[in-house]
Amino acid sequence: MRKFDKTLFITVILASIFGIIMIYSASNIWAEYKFNDQFKFVKHQLLFFILGIFLMIIISKIDYKKIYDNSNKLLLAIIVLLILVLIPGIGTVRNGSRSWFGIGPLGIQPSEAAKLILIIYASKYLSLNQKNIKKLKECVLPILGVTMFIFLLIMLQPDFGTGVIIVMSIIGLLFVAGANLKFFIKLGLIGVAGIIGLIIMAPYRLKRIISFINPWSDPLGSGFQIIQSLYAIGPSGLFGYGFLNSRQKHFYLPEPQTDFIFSIIAEEFGFMGIIIVSTLFLIIIYKGFKIAINSQDLFRKYLAFGITFELSFQAILNLMVVVGLIPVTGVTLPFFSYGGSSLLITLCSMGILLNISRNSS
Amino acid sequence: MFYKNIHIRIKLVFVGIILLFFLIIFKVFYIQVFNYKKLNKLADLLWNRNLPIEADRGKIYDSKGVVLADNKTTVSLVLIPNQIKDKEKTAKELSNILNTSYKDMLAHVSKKTSIERVHPEGRRLSFDIADKINSLKLDGVYLVKESKRFYPNDKMLAHTLGYVGIDNQGLSGLELMYDKYLTGEYGAIKYISDAKGGKLELEETYLEPQDGMNLTLTINAELQKVLEREIDNAWGKYNPDQAIGIIMNPNNGEILAITARPNFSPSNYQKYNVEELNRNLPIWATYEPGSTFKIITLATALDENLIDLENDHYYDSGRISVENARIKCWKAGGHGEETFLQVVENSCNPGFVVMGQKIGKEKLFEYIKKFGFGNKTGVDLNGEAKGILFNLDKVGPVELATTSFGQGVSVTPIQQITAVSAAINGGILYKPYIVKSINEPETNTVIKQNSPKIVRKVISESTSEKVRYALESVVTNGTGRNAFIDGYRVGGKTGTAQKVKDGHYMSGNYIVSFMGFMPANKPEIVVYVAIDNAKGITQYGGTIAAPIVRNILKDSIDILNIKKPSGASEKNYNFNEKKYVTVPNVVGKTLKEAITELKPFKVEYSGAGNSVIYQTPKSGERIYEGEVVKLMLK
Repeated sequence: MRKFDKTLFITVILASIFGIIMIYSASNIWAEYKFNDQFKFVKHQLLFFILGIFLMIIISKIDYKKIYDNSNKLLLAIIVLLILVLIPGIGTVRNGSRSWFGIGPLGIQPSEAAKLILIIYASKYLSLNQKNIKKLKECVLPILGVTMFIFLLIMLQPDFGTGVIIVMSIIGLLFVAGANLKFFIKLGLIGVAGIIGLIIMAPYRLKRIISFINPWSDPLGSGFQIIQSLYAIGPSGLFGYGFLNSRQKHFYLPEPQTDFIFSIIAEEFGFMGIIIVSTLFLIIIYKGFKIAINSQDLFRKYLAFGITFELSFQAILNLMVVVGLIPVTGVTLPFFSYGGSSLLITLCSMGILLNISRNSS
Repeated sequence: MFYKNIHIRIKLVFVGIILLFFLIIFKVFYIQVFNYKKLNKLADLLWNRNLPIEADRGKIYDSKGVVLADNKTTVSLVLIPNQIKDKEKTAKELSNILNTSYKDMLAHVSKKTSIERVHPEGRRLSFDIADKINSLKLDGVYLVKESKRFYPNDKMLAHTLGYVGIDNQGLSGLELMYDKYLTGEYGAIKYISDAKGGKLELEETYLEPQDGMNLTLTINAELQKVLEREIDNAWGKYNPDQAIGIIMNPNNGEILAITARPNFSPSNYQKYNVEELNRNLPIWATYEPGSTFKIITLATALDENLIDLENDHYYDSGRISVENARIKCWKAGGHGEETFLQVVENSCNPGFVVMGQKIGKEKLFEYIKKFGFGNKTGVDLNGEAKGILFNLDKVGPVELATTSFGQGVSVTPIQQITAVSAAINGGILYKPYIVKSINEPETNTVIKQNSPKIVRKVISESTSEKVRYALESVVTNGTGRNAFIDGYRVGGKTGTAQKVKDGHYMSGNYIVSFMGFMPANKPEIVVYVAIDNAKGITQYGGTIAAPIVRNILKDSIDILNIKKPSGASEKNYNFNEKKYVTVPNVVGKTLKEAITELKPFKVEYSGAGNSVIYQTPKSGERIYEGEVVKLMLK
């Protein structure tokens, strides 16, 4: 067995530490105001970070076959958990979504784990059904069925952002595996039709879409977060106001340590902050894809790609929202946004990537 | 081969991801470069809070630099409720110091507003109260400078200066007219605020308030004080309904002093009624001028060469018939045979009717208009009236006759003094003005300057000289004798006008006036005083208004440094009047010699000895006969 990819490992550690530092800077005012403890959020996140690093190293060292063998069981377990979390009394509601198992002050989000587990499952499924990949009924539809089932469970919480990431990750996997392109085009059309249908069902979604083009059309409603984000990014210049000197974190940007933490990074570190964050992500993504290409068998190739693709998609989705390129979707930024389960699962998936890197050629 | 396709697709996805990252970075670049201005401005509006600091209002000075309207600096309490964490404690401390109810203060402290002023308890605080508040160092409690208008001479020049409201905004007079110059620009303490209104300890900038512009008036504060004093005396003595006084420099239209009664105290303007506050009588009041208007008739007749003052005669029988009306002279039985100079001296109405008839209505009204009557003078004060003249078509012989001696026309005091200035200054009508310049407070740079403005030439220089001569005669020999100042050349004209109410003249209710100027040969000052309905005295301009003008002219000698002329005309004394005698020099003489030389006077002496070493008044001074001359002997 060879050693794992050191560059990836270090980049992951750097991104996580930068993330924790920024969670402190973004959250200290809110934490002090709400809980009289400016370290409230950062302590919580640090706990998950340590646990996550520990898990990442363990996972990087185990035999990958254990993952392969247990993927069905894992899928079954997560489906059970996704159903359980919907039951009032078991799952708890935060920010309008019943997505958490509350354990004391900590919360565990099964949907975060679902993202990784579904990729593991799909990778195994696709590696076993490679010869049928062009056949819609035999190969593509069953895995899409499973995906849509999990998507539905997550939408019941509801958690639109996570749902979209899961669906898109599987579609990405199908594309790389060689599924018929025409099928994706049809799928895209269905998607567009679906979005139009959703808008017709609830016109407030149209308002959301318009508000990202001109957030000042509804400055106190749907455009609010985007405007506050632009106020953070716009005036900060090349180097920003400096660490801890964000103004928008002073109650202007609601919960700045979560979805919009990138605004605070841009505000405090300016354009350079954006370059640094983008570079960290691009190194991880590059390494991830390289590991996928270099891996010897189909399962690990798909798994490495799927994990990397999911990470990229989620990061891009978050960044595009924050800079006002797409409407607000409620997706966090991996490594940076506050959220224990998210960090834990991200680090676990990085552990898998590192594990695969040991066996690549 | 099979893997190769997968790898190609992975690389394709990677390229797509890189492109999306570039798109994001480009968007950030776009926001920071192309949207920068807009976002920065909006964000500044969002973050910046101002704690306003009041600027000083511009001061108003007289022509010599004496302050007429000043400012007093005080401090006021300003609260920023969002910065006050312990509301109860803050409210308790403040209510204790300010001696107000805790409940009210708690309401102030808890108000949902960005800046709260505690009005009125927290405004214009005394120094030690401000010091007490300051020493507590409470969060969100600020003391800011406030500037309060202050009039050092209280009621002096009240109508002209006007007054300001609680926020130092000009509400009347010059304070209102020049409000945009006098008002300064607020300064501020700018600080960055959080979304809850709290202050971020990031940076704080002090923006200095910009004080308002200063006004310099043509007013001479010393003359103004004299005028106010004299009008006050008359007000106390005669208890009239109204009193008016104006002093003007006849050679440029500068108003040197202006006042009216009833007046008010600008600092307590709320206690007065609107009429008292807003009617600046010298420019607002219109009434029949009476005999002072005869100056205009006289000037016209002289300018048109229609009369010879000394050689043309008129016999006054005490009345004159015009059409079906009989116009009486004020003196029963008339003045008898008069030269036209005597007509002027005696203010003889029938004589002026004859003068008017010689002029004719077209010419007379042409001159009246040329002298500025019937139109606003354009003085830079609010609320000027223009008066009423007869419509020329409706002027018959009777109207012509009455207009000649100042009845049937309605004019303002400012019109009269401006017109008379033209009649005596060589014939030039100036536009009267009161604001000399507007200056920037720090560098004293002139922002705006008013200079004398010639409206038109009305009469010739030689006519004007004759008018001056005639009017000096009025004071030396005629009805204006009470304005005589020994050793100086004074000209003037009395006026006694009946007041009109509901189209009828009121009986026993007159506006008595006097228009005086000095020196009569080359006037430097014109004074107009009018007293409306003086009580307890026969109402004649010569007896009431002339002495007032005399006192004012007398005081103006020192103030304006008017030289004693060589050829002052001797006063023509009535039998019952005391004479002025020059005091001779007796210093060095024996007591006996001195008493002989000081025969017209009463002599008092002190000290032992026979030789005079000191005398008061000194030699050369002129005093009434019978007055005391004190000597010191050795």
